[in-house]
Amino acid sequence: MKNEEIIHADEDGFFTIALNVNGELGHMIVSRNETLVEALRHYGWKGTKKGCDTGDCGSCTVLFNNKPVLGCMMPAVAAHGGNITTIEGLGTVRNPHPIQQAFVEAGAVQCGFCIPGMILSTKALLDKNPEPSEADIRKALDGNLCRCTGYVTQVQAVRIAAKKVKAMKKQQEKLAAKELAAEKRKAARKTAKKAAKKNK
Amino acid sequence: MSEIIFKPCSLKEMWEEMPNLPESRKYMAGGTDIVTVENAGFPSSECWIDISDIPELATVKEEKDHVFIGAGVKLNDLETYPFIKKYCPALLAAVHDFASPSLRNMATLGGNAGNASPCADGVCALVSLEAAIVLRKGNAERKMPLRDFFTGPKRTKLEKDELIYGFEIPKKENLLGQYFKLGPRAFFGISKVAVALSAAMEGNKVKYASVAIASVAPVPLYAAKTSEYLTGKELTEDTILKAADIARGEVSPITDARSEADYRRDMSGILLERALRSFLN
Ligand SMILES: Cc1cc2nc3c(=O)[nH]c(=O)nc-3n(C[C@H](O)[C@H](O)[C@H](O)COP(=O)(O)OP(=O)(O)OC[C@H]3O[C@@H](n4cnc5c(N)ncnc54)[C@H](O)[C@@H]3O)c2cc1C
Ligand code: FES
Ligand code: FES
Repeated sequence: MKNEEIIHADEDGFFTIALNVNGELGHMIVSRNETLVEALRHYGWKGTKKGCDTGDCGSCTVLFNNKPVLGCMMPAVAAHGGNITTIEGLGTVRNPHPIQQAFVEAGAVQCGFCIPGMILSTKALLDKNPEPSEADIRKALDGNLCRCTGYVTQVQAVRIAAKKVKAMKKQQEKLAAKELAAEKRKAARKTAKKAAKKNK
Repeated sequence: MSEIIFKPCSLKEMWEEMPNLPESRKYMAGGTDIVTVENAGFPSSECWIDISDIPELATVKEEKDHVFIGAGVKLNDLETYPFIKKYCPALLAAVHDFASPSLRNMATLGGNAGNASPCADGVCALVSLEAAIVLRKGNAERKMPLRDFFTGPKRTKLEKDELIYGFEIPKKENLLGQYFKLGPRAFFGISKVAVALSAAMEGNKVKYASVAIASVAPVPLYAAKTSEYLTGKELTEDTILKAADIARGEVSPITDARSEADYRRDMSGILLERALRSFLN
């Protein structure tokens, strides 16, 4: 997305910013003192939670250009031109992302308030490091506080998620390879047909 | 008052546009300090210049005699450079204890210095590394030792429109680094006191030492006397205790919401002892 250079406030003090949320390119009208988490929730992305509003708990974590950031620490206007992934961008109830499945399987969810942030931190970790150690996992989730669990099941969940994501990637690669092979066969058949026509 | 947000894509573009911008203009990088001031978006200003997307400020490079870190580099990106590990070990140790991973994807060293808090961890580590700060305004550039950049809490030598461009860290061979921090949460947030130690050892002899202490003076403190005392000494239990005493004499902490003066003074010594002992063979 190309950045516009200067964004002017309108008469009422609102800025119009352009950004991509979960693959949907769009505009948001935000005030100067609105944070990204508030703007997202205002526009219906309510999967992102606001806990402390002081940068301490991590429940407002979203991915900004594929990296986890705190929605309560980012002025909405600063998100102009960015790509944002919220929990809604990962999976749905009927078609959950493997990381979401893993959290359910491990029983890592109690009240669930911290979970969107945890899952997005996990996503960023696994994108970078597909086979994290326990220390890597704990480091990546360092800023995501949970008031219900003791973190043990969540570390487990990330372990399971790592396996699932790997399996998913393998599956995708297999599918891609299959498609490629089919494509090649198709092309080969075409050239064979052409050659046959020429010979006639 | 009409407000604008200016998001330049390059420094050239920024300097060209500058004369056309409203007078009361301010820089914002990661925004993590700015947002905390009012705990809601930006404080009011006619013009915010969002410098978070300027590639030149995000460069990290190894030069002949120093390492350069751009003011806009996100703290999390530092650990990806092997030469940072080699020449700035105290800085990496400080980054490890700096807030949370997601905050480190936003926060910058330029902002850490621009905010001019005596408890800034990145700055404290850089002071122990004897870093110079590079300032730019249009084509004009000036440099000074980072430790001289601060004039008091929240006050610096920055002139109007002057931009923190980056930091130069002199290369020193076989440098060791430690960063010990005490705060209400083990790895998180603002410290009650923190000690940065950069040193080179030859066996148990201290060839070179440089100590900086955060949250114990109006500015991030370079502990000149302690550093001088340690350099050239054999590192024995006696030297360690003596160095800690000198450090306690150099700090001038206050009591505030986060901690008490006496505790801070005492812990300055204790943290230095721990850092020094970690270098013993
Ligand atoms: C939850 C939380 C935890 C934190 N934990 C820590 C911690 O452990 N240790 C610590 O030291 N700090 C901590 N901080 C404070 C803050 O994150 C750091 O000081 C950070 O480095 C600021 O960088 P920034 O890019 O976000 O600065 P910004 O908020 O964008 O800017 C801060 C100030 O610097 C100025 N500025 C920024 N860049 C430049 C530039 N290039 N040239 C001139 N002026 C500039 C701005 O105008 C502003 O006045 C924490 C903050 C929060 C919210
Ligand atoms: S709401 Fe953002 S960190 Fe708690
Ligand atoms: S499950 Fe309730 S806060 Fe984590």
